[in-house]
Amino acid sequence: MQTRRHFLRRLGLSAAATPFISGLSAFASPKALGTRRQRLVVMFSPNGTVPWDFWPDEEGDQFTLKRILQPLSDFQNRMLVLKGVCDKVRGDGDNHMRGMGCLLTGTELFPGNIQGGSDTPAGWASGISIDQEIAGFLQSKEETRTRFGSLEFGVMVPDRADTWTRMSYAGANKPIAPVDDPYQMFKKLYGQVRDREVLTSILDSVQDDLQAIGKVISSEDRRLLDEHTTFVRSMEQQLQSAQSLDSGHAVPALEPGIREENDNIPQITRMQIELLVNSFQNDFTRVATLQITNSVGQPKMRWLGIEEGHHELSHEPDENKDAHEKLTKINTWYCEQLALLVRRLAETPEPGGEGSLLDNTTILWGNELGQGNSHTLDNIPFVMIGNGLNFRMGRSLRFPKVPHNRLLLALAHGFGHHIETFGNPNFCKDGVLTGLT
Amino acid sequence: MRRFLLSLCCTVLPLCCTASAQDSSPALARGKAIYEQQCQSCHGVNGTGSKEVPSPLFGDRAVAELADLIDRTMPEGAPQECVGEDARAVAEWMQQAFYSPEAQARLNPPRVELARLTVSQYRNAVADLSTSFRWQQTPGAERGLNASYFAGRSHRRDRQVLQRLDSQIHFQFGSSSPDGEKLSEDAFAVTWDGSLIPRETGWYDFTLRTENGARLYVNDRNTPLIDAWVRSGNDTEFHGRRYLLSGRLYPIKLDWFKFGEKTAAVQLCWKVPGGVLETIPRRHLCPRPSPDVLVVETPFPPDDRSAGYERGTSVSREWDEAATAAAVEAADKIVASINDLARLRDGGDRAQKIREFAVNFVERAFRRPLDDTLRQKYVDTQFAAAKSDDEGLRRIVILALKSPRFLYRETTGADDDYDRAARLSFALLNSLPDPQLLEAAKSGKLNNPDELRKHARRLAADPRSRARLVEFLRAWLNLDRLQELDKSDHAHPDFTPEIAADLRTSLELSLEHAANSAGGDFRALLNSDSIFMNDRLAKFYNAALPVPAASATDTPGSPAAEFQLVQFEPEHRAGIVSHPFLLSGLAYLETSSPIHRGVFVSRGLLGRGVKPPPIAVAPTAPELSPDLNTRERVTLQTSPDMCVNCHNLINSLGFALENFDAVGRYRNEEKGRPVDASGQYLQRSGRLVRFTGARELAEFLAESEETQRSFVRQLFHHMVQQPVLAWGPNAVDELNETFTSSRLQMQELQAEIAVRAALRGWSPAPPATAARTFNSTPASRLPFSSETQLQQPAKLR
Repeated sequence: MQTRRHFLRRLGLSAAATPFISGLSAFASPKALGTRRQRLVVMFSPNGTVPWDFWPDEEGDQFTLKRILQPLSDFQNRMLVLKGVCDKVRGDGDNHMRGMGCLLTGTELFPGNIQGGSDTPAGWASGISIDQEIAGFLQSKEETRTRFGSLEFGVMVPDRADTWTRMSYAGANKPIAPVDDPYQMFKKLYGQVRDREVLTSILDSVQDDLQAIGKVISSEDRRLLDEHTTFVRSMEQQLQSAQSLDSGHAVPALEPGIREENDNIPQITRMQIELLVNSFQNDFTRVATLQITNSVGQPKMRWLGIEEGHHELSHEPDENKDAHEKLTKINTWYCEQLALLVRRLAETPEPGGEGSLLDNTTILWGNELGQGNSHTLDNIPFVMIGNGLNFRMGRSLRFPKVPHNRLLLALAHGFGHHIETFGNPNFCKDGVLTGLT
Repeated sequence: MRRFLLSLCCTVLPLCCTASAQDSSPALARGKAIYEQQCQSCHGVNGTGSKEVPSPLFGDRAVAELADLIDRTMPEGAPQECVGEDARAVAEWMQQAFYSPEAQARLNPPRVELARLTVSQYRNAVADLSTSFRWQQTPGAERGLNASYFAGRSHRRDRQVLQRLDSQIHFQFGSSSPDGEKLSEDAFAVTWDGSLIPRETGWYDFTLRTENGARLYVNDRNTPLIDAWVRSGNDTEFHGRRYLLSGRLYPIKLDWFKFGEKTAAVQLCWKVPGGVLETIPRRHLCPRPSPDVLVVETPFPPDDRSAGYERGTSVSREWDEAATAAAVEAADKIVASINDLARLRDGGDRAQKIREFAVNFVERAFRRPLDDTLRQKYVDTQFAAAKSDDEGLRRIVILALKSPRFLYRETTGADDDYDRAARLSFALLNSLPDPQLLEAAKSGKLNNPDELRKHARRLAADPRSRARLVEFLRAWLNLDRLQELDKSDHAHPDFTPEIAADLRTSLELSLEHAANSAGGDFRALLNSDSIFMNDRLAKFYNAALPVPAASATDTPGSPAAEFQLVQFEPEHRAGIVSHPFLLSGLAYLETSSPIHRGVFVSRGLLGRGVKPPPIAVAPTAPELSPDLNTRERVTLQTSPDMCVNCHNLINSLGFALENFDAVGRYRNEEKGRPVDASGQYLQRSGRLVRFTGARELAEFLAESEETQRSFVRQLFHHMVQQPVLAWGPNAVDELNETFTSSRLQMQELQAEIAVRAALRGWSPAPPATAARTFNSTPASRLPFSSETQLQQPAKLR
């Protein structure tokens, strides 16, 4: 099998040209198609859930979905509802900060200068997040390596880097900014394809002009111009052959001109989901995060008839039925986005393999809090869906307040990455979360 | 210790005698006859060489010197056959027939070759293209940054309580606040802003140290280069880098705040190309605002420097690929800032404004108006092929920057006012003509040398042109080759890397000082009795600073902590030849190197063609001849016949600097005996000059026509990137005349070179010359080019 480097060498390309030639989707993953492409998505929505409209009353494989989870009813046999998994990380920062910064890292925040609504100020998380840990594991092996390793999608994440806006960490003090502009993500994924098209036509015009100029030039100087023309022509030819390799891969069409603003959250979410599914289809990555807004997120879901900001509502006491009706609607809307992602994965066939993308993808839906008004870090509303990690799906599970580090460990183990601990080792003493398989 | 071979420099002058061609006087006729009879069989007609003696015969020796050589050594095996008057006659005839550079230029006139933009021109042109749509700022005289202090953690204007000028960003606030009355020590914030004045082109590594929160913006007002807003754990050091071009200002802003931490401190450092990490010095900061500059960061392969100067007369695949990547980079950056560049926020039809911008952009890139065909090809077709205005603009920018009309210096051969404007501007600024110059071209005024001169003088005063002169002075002194100054820990334990870096800064400051002083007096470079020193250097060289440094430590950034102009041993030193940076660079780990110093003076300053040594020779190690001092050792080693012809020239110049040891400290004895710093130089006129010590040497050099001519020639090459002899065999003389009559003002010389270059450029048709009768070595490759590179001494003792 050809590696990309071989291919480039055959084309005789040096490093400068690779931005335009590299990232050929056909060569993004030069691995045997026989092996299964396991994938992980972590989806985040903020401010806790409404417990009574979220948690099924039953335990086991016979359970009824409550209002918030209703949008997933078509996929009930492919999901796990995990009650009793708790974020036990303490230390600096308020619960919104720790809920976010420790959700995927399972370890404390450093002391710092970011002051939340309570508790001590804090900085960034002190360790790597599980999505990056798994991405690193997959990138370390030739057969699971992809062009990006991981992609971090966002939706309306405020343009400021702080503990409330980052959940992925490449390491201690190394937060990763999600890309919340679908056009920017598109450019990241397909910019090179677009560049190739543009450049091919431009280089053609350049050659014309070089020839026109060459006509009036003395033979001594023309040599230089001829040489130049040869280089331009050979690059054009290389680009053309690169382009023919691209054909057959789906490049999604994005609706143009959607500005990043509150009322466009539904469109932006759809666009990001489309790009996410597409990047799996083209095997650009096996690990993705989708962070809708941020910890303490304040979207005003006017498209649901809700004028108040989400975070503001989440502080209302349980007795405020009106507020909780709205919160249920908001969380249901988030679940609908998850359902859209699930549906798109289910209806997209696994390229070169059997079944659908969903057969090889596990999505973890999480939140920085269990419930907004109490700011509890217990009972984080975790849902898993899809069959990427060989868990026994279609069940409502109850755990005796276990640290969520054990769930993070289970994700790693699901990929065959058998680490003993993840995050703060004190929370990993009982090992990987049992009962999933 | 690593051992390197020392390149001992010797001129191998293949010699003999015989003759041909044009001559009038009887003496010349006699010389010609002797050449034909005795020399030509080996050296060929007009010294072009033969099978037996293939190397062509040309050089820059004076007639007397040449005659002496012929007398002693030629014809080979029978030197007695051509001596005395005969040798003199042959030398005289050779000199005017083919031996001298001028004769070579007559016989084999170099031409202006088709050339592309050099890498540096490319980057400058793209930067100026974008800047021409923004605004320009000049640094002014004030240094430091504006500092606004805010009560509380936020940078809200209404909380601002203090405004001042800070010299540097280097503060240890500790647990208190900078103003106990107005600012609470618990929470306060500062914004520093203004512009950066970089020293040279290259990558700048920024380091921000703070235990608090901060965001640093450099040449990008929207995206921080360093985002350390969140203080987290023990991270107190943050890094970022930017590529900056010299001669321009770049916006810089640091937003910083203290909140909750026990203590507060902030320090902003950088590492300039080839420099060491230091707090950004006051002299590189200015409080004036400036707009973002589009700097292309795509790496390019280096330009050809085989002729001694960078030039664009060849292309390579790597270059073409880099040009493509750079065009895409520039296009993306332009599209991203199009609101700003095309002033879209001011209202009006967006599509229309983008189209106007595109036409302007292409015209400025091509340095001339677009006719209908080109407008169709480069603009209209591209918008038509694109799905959106932004996409169309992107295509246009890439196409324009890949077009030969942008990438080549001249392509049409129109030789009109637009060509003249471009030549003038590239010579002075290394970049595209500015709108004023294009306007002058449009009104058809640039055929007039006086009009050109007016613009040349205007542009010569531009900071970009000043920076270009400094860049040339660096090349003139070959500073690139003097990296990593290192001395033996045993002999010079106090010569630290900081001293080495300070020395370089000191020399750089001298060059900047000379280039930026009114008019730029060339002689001041060679005979000034002052150098720049900071406290560390003053201590090392035992000099006294005019403003004592004692107070400097507690007020960082105060003038005393910076470099000051110091009168330094004026009885022993003068100008750059005795600057301790060059003296240390042109020396070994423990001992001086008269040979390196001599080559520097003869080749670099006097412009003598010193060929590489015929054999590689390791210098005699001092411990092998413990009784000899450096002068004696070098004399002994270079005494063989094959060495002495060149080393007579080299050594006797280098010996004049023997009063300075390997770190450039003054000494009057070595090995217990007085130093002999006497030297001499046989000028090309045949006149012998004697001098003792650096001061006398420097005084000779400052007034020497040879030094001036060499400077003129090298500056021309640096500015124009074409062989000066293509402007006629007398071009250097004529330029030197204006240089001398302007009392050696470098700025005036720059302007005059640019005017000359503007008046005559590349022509698409082959020159109608029939003189190419023999091997046509382009003059730029002739070995008498003094610009070929001088190596740094190997790390020997």
